[in-house]
Amino acid sequence: MAAPTASASLNASTYSPGDQMNLTVTYGDADTRPLTVTIVVTDAQGNSSAPVRVAAVIDPLTVTVTDDSGRSWTRLSDNGAVAVYRAVA
Amino acid sequence: MPQVTVTVRDSGGRTATATASYAIAPPVLGGYYLSGGADPTADIAGGNFRSLTQYRSFADGYIFPGYQRQWLTTLGKSGIKINMVLELKHYGAPNAGPQTFTVDGTSYTVPAPAMTIQQRPGTTWPKAYGYGQVLAGQCDGLFARALSQYRTLGFPVNIQLASELDTDHEFGTSEAGKAYNWAESDARAVQAVTYIVNWFKARPLPAGSTFSVGLGGFDRACFQRTHPESLMARLDHLQWNVYATSPTHTALDRFRRTKDWAVADLGPVALSRPVIIAEWGVRVAEIPNQAAWIATVPAAIAKLNAERGPRIVQTNYFNSGWGTLSPKATGLSALKAAYATRPYV
Repeated sequence: MAAPTASASLNASTYSPGDQMNLTVTYGDADTRPLTVTIVVTDAQGNSSAPVRVAAVIDPLTVTVTDDSGRSWTRLSDNGAVAVYRAVA
Repeated sequence: MPQVTVTVRDSGGRTATATASYAIAPPVLGGYYLSGGADPTADIAGGNFRSLTQYRSFADGYIFPGYQRQWLTTLGKSGIKINMVLELKHYGAPNAGPQTFTVDGTSYTVPAPAMTIQQRPGTTWPKAYGYGQVLAGQCDGLFARALSQYRTLGFPVNIQLASELDTDHEFGTSEAGKAYNWAESDARAVQAVTYIVNWFKARPLPAGSTFSVGLGGFDRACFQRTHPESLMARLDHLQWNVYATSPTHTALDRFRRTKDWAVADLGPVALSRPVIIAEWGVRVAEIPNQAAWIATVPAAIAKLNAERGPRIVQTNYFNSGWGTLSPKATGLSALKAAYATRPYV
Protein backbone atom coordinates (compact mmCIF):
# COMPACT_ATOMS: atom_id res chain seq x y z
CA MET A 1 0.00 0.00 0.00
CA ALA A 2 1.19 3.54 -0.79
CA ALA A 3 1.66 6.22 1.86
CA PRO A 4 -0.60 9.26 1.79
CA THR A 5 0.56 12.76 0.90
CA ALA A 6 -0.45 16.05 2.48
CA SER A 7 0.28 19.74 2.13
CA ALA A 8 -1.05 22.69 4.09
CA SER A 9 -1.16 26.37 3.23
CA LEU A 10 -2.56 29.40 5.02
CA ASN A 11 -3.99 32.43 3.26
CA ALA A 12 -1.61 34.75 5.12
CA SER A 13 1.48 34.54 7.30
CA THR A 14 0.40 37.20 9.81
CA TYR A 15 -3.08 37.89 11.14
CA SER A 16 -4.62 40.54 13.32
CA PRO A 17 -6.59 39.35 16.32
CA GLY A 18 -10.10 38.48 15.16
CA ASP A 19 -9.12 37.90 11.53
CA GLN A 20 -10.55 34.90 9.72
CA MET A 21 -7.78 32.43 8.88
CA ASN A 22 -8.18 29.97 6.03
CA LEU A 23 -6.21 26.73 5.80
CA THR A 24 -6.18 24.73 2.57
CA VAL A 25 -5.20 21.06 2.88
CA THR A 26 -4.34 19.18 -0.28
CA TYR A 27 -4.08 15.43 0.24
CA GLY A 28 -4.18 12.09 -1.50
CA ASP A 29 -3.05 8.50 -1.61
CA ALA A 30 -2.28 6.45 -4.70
CA ASP A 31 -4.34 3.57 -3.28
CA THR A 32 -7.41 5.54 -2.52
CA ARG A 33 -10.15 4.71 -4.97
CA PRO A 34 -13.76 5.59 -4.84
CA LEU A 35 -15.96 2.79 -6.16
CA THR A 36 -19.60 1.92 -6.41
CA VAL A 37 -20.94 -1.56 -5.60
CA THR A 38 -24.18 -2.36 -7.40
CA ILE A 39 -26.29 -5.22 -6.07
CA VAL A 40 -29.11 -6.96 -7.91
CA VAL A 41 -30.92 -9.89 -6.26
CA THR A 42 -32.27 -12.51 -8.62
CA ASP A 43 -34.52 -15.44 -7.52
CA ALA A 44 -34.81 -18.94 -8.95
CA GLN A 45 -37.51 -17.82 -11.31
CA GLY A 46 -35.28 -15.24 -12.79
CA ASN A 47 -37.02 -12.26 -11.18
CA SER A 48 -34.56 -9.48 -10.36
CA SER A 49 -34.79 -6.72 -7.84
CA ALA A 50 -34.13 -3.15 -8.75
CA PRO A 51 -30.39 -2.44 -8.52
CA VAL A 52 -29.09 -0.99 -5.26
CA ARG A 53 -25.95 1.11 -5.38
CA VAL A 54 -23.54 1.53 -2.49
CA ALA A 55 -20.56 3.88 -2.52
CA ALA A 56 -17.33 2.69 -0.96
CA VAL A 57 -13.70 3.81 -0.77
CA ILE A 58 -10.64 1.59 -0.94
CA ASP A 59 -8.06 2.74 1.60
CA PRO A 60 -9.98 5.79 2.80
CA LEU A 61 -8.11 8.74 4.30
CA THR A 62 -8.80 10.70 7.44
CA VAL A 63 -7.61 14.27 7.88
CA THR A 64 -6.99 15.79 11.29
CA VAL A 65 -5.92 19.33 12.04
CA THR A 66 -4.28 20.41 15.28
CA ASP A 67 -2.97 23.80 16.38
CA ASP A 68 -0.33 24.20 19.07
CA SER A 69 -1.87 27.52 20.14
CA GLY A 70 -5.14 25.78 20.91
CA ARG A 71 -7.19 27.39 18.14
CA SER A 72 -9.92 25.15 16.82
CA TRP A 73 -10.18 24.72 13.09
CA THR A 74 -13.55 24.05 11.52
CA ARG A 75 -13.88 22.16 8.26
CA LEU A 76 -15.73 24.20 5.65
CA SER A 77 -15.43 21.82 2.72
CA ASP A 78 -13.75 18.58 1.66
CA ASN A 79 -13.95 17.02 -1.80
CA GLY A 80 -11.61 14.12 -1.04
CA ALA A 81 -8.55 15.88 -2.44
CA VAL A 82 -8.79 19.42 -1.10
CA ALA A 83 -10.20 20.40 2.29
CA VAL A 84 -10.62 23.93 3.58
CA TYR A 85 -10.57 24.77 7.28
CA ARG A 86 -11.22 28.02 9.08
CA ALA A 87 -10.24 29.50 12.43
CA VAL A 88 -10.33 32.90 14.06
CA ALA A 89 -7.06 34.66 14.87
CA MET B 1 4.89 31.36 16.37
CA PRO B 2 1.73 29.24 16.36
CA GLN B 3 1.77 26.23 14.10
CA VAL B 4 -1.02 24.17 12.60
CA THR B 5 -0.35 20.51 11.86
CA VAL B 6 -2.32 18.47 9.34
CA THR B 7 -2.20 14.70 9.56
CA VAL B 8 -3.59 12.47 6.82
CA ARG B 9 -3.95 8.79 7.77
CA ASP B 10 -4.87 5.88 5.52
CA SER B 11 -6.59 2.67 6.53
CA GLY B 12 -3.28 0.94 7.02
CA GLY B 13 -2.17 3.50 9.57
CA ARG B 14 0.30 5.21 7.28
CA THR B 15 0.40 8.94 7.83
CA ALA B 16 1.58 12.09 6.16
CA THR B 17 1.91 15.37 8.02
CA ALA B 18 2.22 18.94 6.88
CA THR B 19 2.64 22.09 8.93
CA ALA B 20 2.02 25.78 8.44
CA SER B 21 3.17 28.54 10.80
CA TYR B 22 1.55 31.88 11.30
CA ALA B 23 1.88 34.98 13.44
CA ILE B 24 -0.78 36.90 15.32
CA ALA B 25 0.10 40.57 15.12
CA PRO B 26 -0.37 42.68 18.20
CA PRO B 27 -3.13 45.28 18.01
CA VAL B 28 -2.41 48.39 15.95
CA LEU B 29 -1.33 51.30 18.15
CA GLY B 30 -3.75 54.18 18.16
CA GLY B 31 -1.91 57.41 18.76
CA TYR B 32 -2.06 61.16 18.92
CA TYR B 33 -0.29 64.47 18.46
CA LEU B 34 -1.45 67.70 20.08
CA SER B 35 -0.86 71.05 18.42
CA GLY B 36 2.31 72.85 19.38
CA GLY B 37 3.85 69.70 20.79
CA ALA B 38 1.72 70.36 23.86
CA ASP B 39 1.18 67.91 26.70
CA PRO B 40 -1.51 65.46 25.47
CA THR B 41 -1.93 63.71 28.81
CA ALA B 42 -5.37 65.18 29.55
CA ASP B 43 -6.66 64.52 26.02
CA ILE B 44 -5.65 60.87 25.94
CA ALA B 45 -6.81 60.06 29.46
CA GLY B 46 -9.41 57.31 29.49
CA GLY B 47 -8.70 56.28 25.91
CA ASN B 48 -6.72 53.43 24.39
CA PHE B 49 -3.98 55.78 23.18
CA ARG B 50 -0.74 53.89 22.92
CA SER B 51 1.55 56.01 20.74
CA LEU B 52 2.54 59.60 20.16
CA THR B 53 4.34 61.62 17.53
CA GLN B 54 6.69 64.44 18.55
CA TYR B 55 8.78 66.90 16.54
CA ARG B 56 12.16 68.37 17.38
CA SER B 57 14.78 70.25 15.42
CA PHE B 58 18.39 69.16 15.64
CA ALA B 59 19.03 72.88 16.21
CA ASP B 60 17.17 72.71 19.52
CA GLY B 61 19.35 72.28 22.57
CA TYR B 62 16.52 70.37 24.26
CA ILE B 63 15.52 67.40 22.11
CA PHE B 64 14.93 64.58 24.61
CA PRO B 65 12.49 64.94 26.23
CA GLY B 66 12.30 68.57 25.11
CA TYR B 67 12.19 71.89 26.86
CA GLN B 68 9.82 71.64 29.83
CA ARG B 69 8.43 68.39 28.48
CA GLN B 70 8.93 66.09 31.43
CA TRP B 71 5.49 64.70 30.59
CA LEU B 72 7.05 62.97 27.56
CA THR B 73 9.30 60.99 29.87
CA THR B 74 6.31 60.10 32.04
CA LEU B 75 4.26 58.94 29.04
CA GLY B 76 7.16 57.00 27.54
CA LYS B 77 7.90 55.21 30.79
CA SER B 78 4.21 54.34 31.09
CA GLY B 79 4.47 52.41 27.80
CA ILE B 80 3.31 54.93 25.22
CA LYS B 81 5.42 54.37 22.08
CA ILE B 82 7.05 57.58 20.93
CA ASN B 83 7.68 58.37 17.27
CA MET B 84 10.29 61.11 17.55
CA VAL B 85 10.59 63.19 14.39
CA LEU B 86 14.05 64.76 14.28
CA GLU B 87 14.45 67.42 11.62
CA LEU B 88 17.36 69.18 9.97
CA LYS B 89 14.87 72.04 9.60
CA HIS B 90 16.02 74.85 11.87
CA TYR B 91 13.76 75.85 14.77
CA GLY B 92 13.81 75.83 18.55
CA ALA B 93 17.08 77.77 18.77
CA PRO B 94 17.45 81.45 19.62
CA ASN B 95 18.85 82.35 16.20
CA ALA B 96 19.98 80.74 12.97
CA GLY B 97 23.67 81.39 13.54
CA PRO B 98 26.42 78.95 14.38
CA GLN B 99 26.25 77.10 17.73
CA THR B 100 29.00 76.13 20.11
CA PHE B 101 28.13 73.72 22.91
CA THR B 102 29.63 70.94 24.99
CA VAL B 103 28.39 67.36 25.01
CA ASP B 104 29.76 64.97 27.63
CA GLY B 105 32.93 67.02 27.93
CA THR B 106 33.52 67.51 24.21
CA SER B 107 33.08 70.93 22.66
CA TYR B 108 31.41 71.19 19.26
CA THR B 109 30.89 74.13 16.93
CA VAL B 110 28.19 73.69 14.31
CA PRO B 111 27.92 76.24 11.48
CA ALA B 112 24.77 78.13 10.62
CA PRO B 113 22.24 76.15 8.56
CA ALA B 114 23.02 76.60 4.86
CA MET B 115 19.98 75.05 3.16
CA THR B 116 16.51 76.35 2.37
CA ILE B 117 13.56 73.98 2.06
CA GLN B 118 9.77 74.16 1.53
CA GLN B 119 10.38 76.82 -1.13
CA ARG B 120 6.74 77.43 -1.91
CA PRO B 121 6.39 80.63 -3.94
CA GLY B 122 5.17 83.57 -1.91
CA THR B 123 6.25 82.13 1.44
CA THR B 124 9.31 82.59 3.62
CA TRP B 125 11.56 79.62 3.02
CA PRO B 126 12.66 77.86 6.19
CA LYS B 127 16.33 77.24 6.83
CA ALA B 128 17.71 73.79 7.46
CA TYR B 129 21.05 72.17 8.00
CA GLY B 130 22.19 71.20 4.53
CA TYR B 131 22.62 67.68 3.25
CA GLY B 132 26.10 68.75 2.19
CA GLN B 133 26.80 70.01 5.69
CA VAL B 134 25.68 66.66 7.12
CA LEU B 135 27.88 64.68 4.74
CA ALA B 136 30.85 66.94 5.53
CA GLY B 137 30.49 66.03 9.20
CA GLN B 138 29.63 69.58 10.20
CA CYS B 139 26.46 68.50 12.03
CA ASP B 140 27.99 65.66 14.06
CA GLY B 141 27.80 67.82 17.17
CA LEU B 142 24.02 68.10 16.75
CA PHE B 143 23.75 64.32 16.56
CA ALA B 144 26.03 63.88 19.56
CA ARG B 145 23.90 66.29 21.59
CA ALA B 146 20.69 64.49 20.65
CA LEU B 147 22.19 61.06 21.37
CA SER B 148 23.52 62.12 24.76
CA GLN B 149 20.06 63.30 25.79
CA TYR B 150 18.39 60.23 24.29
CA ARG B 151 20.56 57.91 26.39
CA THR B 152 19.21 59.46 29.60
CA LEU B 153 15.56 59.24 28.51
CA GLY B 154 14.96 55.77 29.92
CA PHE B 155 13.08 54.16 27.04
CA PRO B 156 13.62 53.53 23.32
CA VAL B 157 11.88 55.52 20.61
CA ASN B 158 11.51 55.41 16.86
CA ILE B 159 13.63 58.17 15.38
CA GLN B 160 11.97 59.46 12.22
CA LEU B 161 14.46 61.54 10.27
CA ALA B 162 12.64 64.48 8.65
CA SER B 163 8.93 65.14 8.88
CA GLU B 164 8.04 65.11 5.17
CA LEU B 165 10.87 65.06 2.64
CA ASP B 166 8.32 65.50 -0.16
CA THR B 167 7.01 68.70 1.45
CA ASP B 168 10.59 69.86 2.05
CA HIS B 169 11.64 69.27 -1.57
CA GLU B 170 8.45 69.88 -3.57
CA PHE B 171 9.67 73.27 -4.85
CA GLY B 172 13.35 72.40 -4.83
CA THR B 173 16.01 73.27 -2.27
CA SER B 174 19.16 75.31 -2.22
CA GLU B 175 22.34 74.95 -0.24
CA ALA B 176 25.28 77.37 -0.17
CA GLY B 177 23.99 79.27 -3.18
CA LYS B 178 23.34 76.20 -5.35
CA ALA B 179 19.82 75.20 -6.36
CA TYR B 180 18.63 71.61 -6.52
CA ASN B 181 15.41 70.38 -8.08
CA TRP B 182 13.02 67.97 -6.36
CA ALA B 183 14.67 64.76 -7.57
CA GLU B 184 18.16 66.08 -6.85
CA SER B 185 17.07 67.08 -3.36
CA ASP B 186 15.66 63.60 -2.77
CA ALA B 187 18.93 61.98 -3.81
CA ARG B 188 20.91 64.27 -1.53
CA ALA B 189 18.53 63.60 1.35
CA VAL B 190 18.93 59.84 0.97
CA GLN B 191 22.69 60.27 1.33
CA ALA B 192 22.31 62.53 4.36
CA VAL B 193 19.73 60.29 6.08
CA THR B 194 21.99 57.30 5.46
CA TYR B 195 24.85 59.23 7.04
CA ILE B 196 22.78 60.14 10.10
CA VAL B 197 21.41 56.63 10.64
CA ASN B 198 24.89 55.18 10.29
CA TRP B 199 26.22 57.78 12.70
CA PHE B 200 23.67 56.79 15.36
CA LYS B 201 23.96 53.06 14.75
CA ALA B 202 27.73 53.20 15.11
CA ARG B 203 27.22 54.20 18.75
CA PRO B 204 25.51 52.51 21.70
CA LEU B 205 21.77 53.18 21.57
CA PRO B 206 18.98 52.35 24.01
CA ALA B 207 17.85 48.78 23.31
CA GLY B 208 14.82 48.74 21.03
CA SER B 209 15.70 51.93 19.17
CA THR B 210 14.32 52.04 15.64
CA PHE B 211 14.63 54.38 12.66
CA SER B 212 12.56 55.59 9.73
CA VAL B 213 12.63 58.35 7.13
CA GLY B 214 9.80 60.90 7.02
CA LEU B 215 7.49 61.41 4.03
CA GLY B 216 4.08 62.90 3.55
CA GLY B 217 3.61 60.18 0.95
CA PHE B 218 1.66 62.33 -1.51
CA ASP B 219 4.05 61.92 -4.43
CA ARG B 220 4.72 58.49 -5.88
CA ALA B 221 8.02 59.25 -7.62
CA CYS B 222 9.42 60.96 -4.54
CA PHE B 223 8.35 58.07 -2.32
CA GLN B 224 10.19 55.66 -4.59
CA ARG B 225 13.32 57.83 -4.82
CA THR B 226 13.56 58.18 -1.05
CA HIS B 227 13.21 54.45 -0.30
CA PRO B 228 16.12 52.66 -2.00
CA GLU B 229 16.80 49.20 -0.61
CA SER B 230 20.25 50.31 0.54
CA LEU B 231 18.66 52.83 2.90
CA MET B 232 15.72 50.61 3.87
CA ALA B 233 18.18 47.95 5.01
CA ARG B 234 19.23 50.46 7.70
CA LEU B 235 15.66 51.45 8.66
CA ASP B 236 13.00 49.62 10.66
CA HIS B 237 9.75 51.19 9.48
CA LEU B 238 8.03 52.62 6.48
CA GLN B 239 6.12 55.82 7.24
CA TRP B 240 3.68 58.17 5.59
CA ASN B 241 0.96 60.61 6.59
CA VAL B 242 -2.74 60.48 5.76
CA TYR B 243 -5.20 63.37 5.43
CA ALA B 244 -8.80 63.55 4.33
CA THR B 245 -9.30 66.93 2.64
CA SER B 246 -12.24 66.28 0.32
CA PRO B 247 -15.78 65.03 0.89
CA THR B 248 -14.98 62.25 -1.59
CA HIS B 249 -12.07 60.90 0.45
CA THR B 250 -12.70 57.59 2.20
CA ALA B 251 -10.49 56.23 4.95
CA LEU B 252 -9.66 53.14 2.93
CA ASP B 253 -8.63 55.18 -0.12
CA ARG B 254 -6.54 57.64 1.84
CA PHE B 255 -4.69 55.10 3.98
CA ARG B 256 -4.08 52.82 1.02
CA ARG B 257 -2.79 55.35 -1.52
CA THR B 258 0.84 55.35 -0.44
CA LYS B 259 0.72 51.66 0.47
CA ASP B 260 -0.29 50.76 -3.07
CA TRP B 261 2.58 52.82 -4.47
CA ALA B 262 4.98 51.15 -2.05
CA VAL B 263 3.81 47.65 -2.96
CA ALA B 264 4.15 48.45 -6.66
CA ASP B 265 7.45 50.33 -6.54
CA LEU B 266 9.58 49.30 -3.56
CA GLY B 267 11.83 46.31 -3.01
CA PRO B 268 11.45 43.36 -0.63
CA VAL B 269 13.47 44.92 2.18
CA ALA B 270 11.28 48.03 2.23
CA LEU B 271 8.11 45.95 2.07
CA SER B 272 9.22 43.85 5.02
CA ARG B 273 9.07 46.93 7.24
CA PRO B 274 5.93 47.73 9.26
CA VAL B 275 4.32 51.11 8.71
CA ILE B 276 4.00 54.03 11.10
CA ILE B 277 1.36 56.59 10.17
CA ALA B 278 3.05 59.50 11.95
CA GLU B 279 0.10 61.80 11.23
CA TRP B 280 -3.47 61.30 10.12
CA GLY B 281 -6.23 63.83 10.14
CA VAL B 282 -9.61 64.90 8.85
CA ARG B 283 -9.97 68.50 7.65
CA VAL B 284 -13.17 69.88 9.09
CA ALA B 285 -13.66 72.48 6.35
CA GLU B 286 -14.47 69.79 3.77
CA ILE B 287 -15.60 67.05 6.15
CA PRO B 288 -17.68 68.73 8.88
CA ASN B 289 -18.56 65.40 10.46
CA GLN B 290 -15.05 64.43 11.49
CA ALA B 291 -16.40 61.88 13.94
CA ALA B 292 -18.16 59.88 11.24
CA TRP B 293 -15.00 59.73 9.13
CA ILE B 294 -12.88 58.74 12.13
CA ALA B 295 -15.32 55.91 12.84
CA THR B 296 -14.50 54.33 9.47
CA VAL B 297 -10.76 54.17 10.14
CA PRO B 298 -10.51 50.93 12.15
CA ALA B 299 -12.19 48.85 9.44
CA ALA B 300 -9.99 50.47 6.79
CA ILE B 301 -6.81 49.62 8.71
CA ALA B 302 -8.02 46.07 9.34
CA LYS B 303 -8.76 45.60 5.66
CA LEU B 304 -5.39 46.97 4.55
CA ASN B 305 -3.58 44.76 7.05
CA ALA B 306 -5.43 41.72 5.75
CA GLU B 307 -4.09 42.42 2.27
CA ARG B 308 -0.57 41.67 1.11
CA GLY B 309 2.12 44.26 1.67
CA PRO B 310 3.53 46.02 4.73
CA ARG B 311 1.34 46.14 7.83
CA ILE B 312 0.27 49.37 9.45
CA VAL B 313 1.27 49.11 13.12
CA GLN B 314 0.76 52.64 14.45
CA THR B 315 -1.55 55.54 13.52
CA ASN B 316 -1.18 58.87 15.31
CA TYR B 317 -3.99 61.39 14.93
CA PHE B 318 -2.66 64.89 14.20
CA ASN B 319 -4.82 67.25 16.26
CA SER B 320 -3.32 70.35 14.66
CA GLY B 321 -3.31 72.06 11.27
CA TRP B 322 -5.38 70.10 8.76
CA GLY B 323 -6.37 67.56 11.40
CA THR B 324 -7.56 70.00 14.07
CA LEU B 325 -10.50 68.40 15.88
CA SER B 326 -13.45 70.80 15.88
CA PRO B 327 -15.33 70.60 18.12
CA LYS B 328 -12.52 69.03 20.04
CA ALA B 329 -14.62 67.04 22.51
CA THR B 330 -16.62 65.39 19.72
CA GLY B 331 -13.48 64.52 17.83
CA LEU B 332 -11.73 63.10 20.87
CA SER B 333 -14.77 60.95 21.67
CA ALA B 334 -14.70 59.59 18.13
CA LEU B 335 -10.99 58.85 18.39
CA LYS B 336 -11.47 57.06 21.68
CA ALA B 337 -14.29 54.99 20.20
CA ALA B 338 -12.22 54.13 17.12
CA TYR B 339 -9.21 53.10 19.20
CA ALA B 340 -11.47 50.86 21.27
CA THR B 341 -12.29 48.88 18.12
CA ARG B 342 -10.47 46.09 16.29
CA PRO B 343 -7.67 46.25 15.04
CA TYR B 344 -6.72 48.66 17.82
CA VAL B 345 -7.66 46.15 20.55
